[in-house]
Amino acid sequence: MRRPKRLTAMVVCLLLAASGTPSLSQDVPADAEAVLDAVVENLRGGGQRATIEMRVEDGEDVETYRLAIISDGTDRALTRVLEPAREAGQAFLVNGNDLFIYAPRLGRTLRLPPSGRSDSFLGSDLSYNDLAGDDVARDFTASIAARDEATITLSLTPNENAATPYGEVRMNVRLPDLAPLRLTYFDQRNQAVKRIELSSFELHDGSGPVPTRFDVVDLRPDGGRTVARWLDAEFGVTPPDRCFTLEALERGCEW
Amino acid sequence: MVKLAWRSLFRQRRRTALLIAVVAYATLAILFFWGFVDGFLNSIYQGQGRLVAAPVAIHTEAYQADPDLSHALTELAAAREVAAAHPAVSAVSARLDVPVLLRSPYASRGANLRGVEPSTEPAVSDVPGAVKEGRFLAAQGEVVLGIALARDLDVRLGERLAVDANGLDGPAATGLTVVGFVDSGVEQVDETVVLAHIDDARTLSGVTTATSLAVGVPFGREEAVARALNQDLSAGVAAFGIMDQMGDLAQGLAAERLQMLPLGLLFSLFAAVAVTSSLVVSVMERTREFGVMLALGMSHRRLGLMVTTEAVLGSLLGLGVGLVLGYALLVWLAQVNVLGPAIMAAYGDFLSGLALTNDVRADVRLEYAMYAGFTVVLAAVFAVITPARRVARLVPSEAMRAPD
Repeated sequence: MRRPKRLTAMVVCLLLAASGTPSLSQDVPADAEAVLDAVVENLRGGGQRATIEMRVEDGEDVETYRLAIISDGTDRALTRVLEPAREAGQAFLVNGNDLFIYAPRLGRTLRLPPSGRSDSFLGSDLSYNDLAGDDVARDFTASIAARDEATITLSLTPNENAATPYGEVRMNVRLPDLAPLRLTYFDQRNQAVKRIELSSFELHDGSGPVPTRFDVVDLRPDGGRTVARWLDAEFGVTPPDRCFTLEALERGCEW
Repeated sequence: MVKLAWRSLFRQRRRTALLIAVVAYATLAILFFWGFVDGFLNSIYQGQGRLVAAPVAIHTEAYQADPDLSHALTELAAAREVAAAHPAVSAVSARLDVPVLLRSPYASRGANLRGVEPSTEPAVSDVPGAVKEGRFLAAQGEVVLGIALARDLDVRLGERLAVDANGLDGPAATGLTVVGFVDSGVEQVDETVVLAHIDDARTLSGVTTATSLAVGVPFGREEAVARALNQDLSAGVAAFGIMDQMGDLAQGLAAERLQMLPLGLLFSLFAAVAVTSSLVVSVMERTREFGVMLALGMSHRRLGLMVTTEAVLGSLLGLGVGLVLGYALLVWLAQVNVLGPAIMAAYGDFLSGLALTNDVRADVRLEYAMYAGFTVVLAAVFAVITPARRVARLVPSEAMRAPD
């Protein structure tokens, strides 16, 4: 059975650290599905501990957050807001499909119901639902839309009854290291509605390129923009299980 | 005595006609008032039963108290059998309500997705008939949305909607293709309706049966049928009429009706006062006549009784005329939808929170004649209090000298 591969999570993982150290680049597969699998697998790896700066632009309003992230590299991640002061202490725990929020002012932990997942994550262009991501293997069929010496453009079209509202997702992948450069989300009227760009790739310990910056652009009228940058990151770590508990959500996890 | 009172009424035809007209008008007003109020309430109950809830719903008592998926109806087949066996039941259809998140590329909305059996749902609900664009459900993988909700999500016919749910087995998701829009004209329905095949709802929820059975029964018999079904349903499972399903809203509406009783009585009071004042004038004008009657040996008591009888007879005549006209009006308003468009045009925004369609028919009940009959009782009481007492105080010698 194939492991689920989360499309949005490929990018969002960079924020919530659902990925880890990419492996070294390999030979480029000829088949679109194989390319997609390789891209996703490249972004799957060990755990990481990082501090991320997230800048949320909404018209004239700009807000900057600093987030501390711990991830085991699979489907568990703990995120804590460090700045700004009024938001500090808020924490988010992704554990498989479950998403919990700790509100320090209330001193309470909430499990986010489906209706709450449409809310914006810290006012950014990502919703909590984006954090759960889409199951690429289950929901999309990949084909190669374009290919040249430097890049491959994959066209991901939803399977019948796929749990995604998009009509198509286009993914630009760099060759030969299969680093994802851009994802463009189209609605079912062939209009681009969201774009995610990945950049500032770095190499760690002989790994493949790791993007340490991404830009999420809401392409709808009056849409905003969210930019995340890795300020520091420790890859290949193995966080203990206690870091992904409700206790850790409320009190943090030091190890 | 009655003959004397009749003669008096006939001798003063103009005054009697006025008296009849006043009582008839009040009777007409009372009948219209109650026919309108009850017809309005019926429309709300009917709307709730056919558009929002079900005429009769069968679910677990635990679900009634807490509509959670964990309280689903596990004994679906047995309950369906009990419901179908009742002679007043026209149809039975399973439903599975699941809280979901709907996602389009432009917006997300929390909603209650109702999984239904496409073949039987139209027999227990008016919502399928209110699909004005596209069509009703035919198979799995489809969804029908309220037109206002579809606008909020900016989704069109043929487009796919992502649906997320927290089922019993954990989070689940699917994509459903929009095949129809419900445009009922009822805000509460058009903003909230999400209908999908019950098998899709089962996939999302992890419930293998249903949360309730919707039972189709003729309007007005919901509570009685629910009571009858409860005799045969197994422990922990119960049938609920529309009033039980509406809960606090139904109690509030019943309380509102009670609060309107004084207003209805006010019509009777005005009519009785009008009758009394007419009689007082009549008594004053006939002082000499009464003096002669007293001089000829009629007792004060009998004379007072005659005046009271005149009041009662006159009121009865007016009541009869009013009842004929009033019931004719109500029957017409029950046949022709005149009230609905008028109400919605005037108070549509104010009433938008209720499942009220623009089809409001007057109710026709025999009890309204009793309410209107209260006018006659009041008129008799007032006649005893004022005109009859005045007659009782007449001195024959003085009365006979009274000016014409």
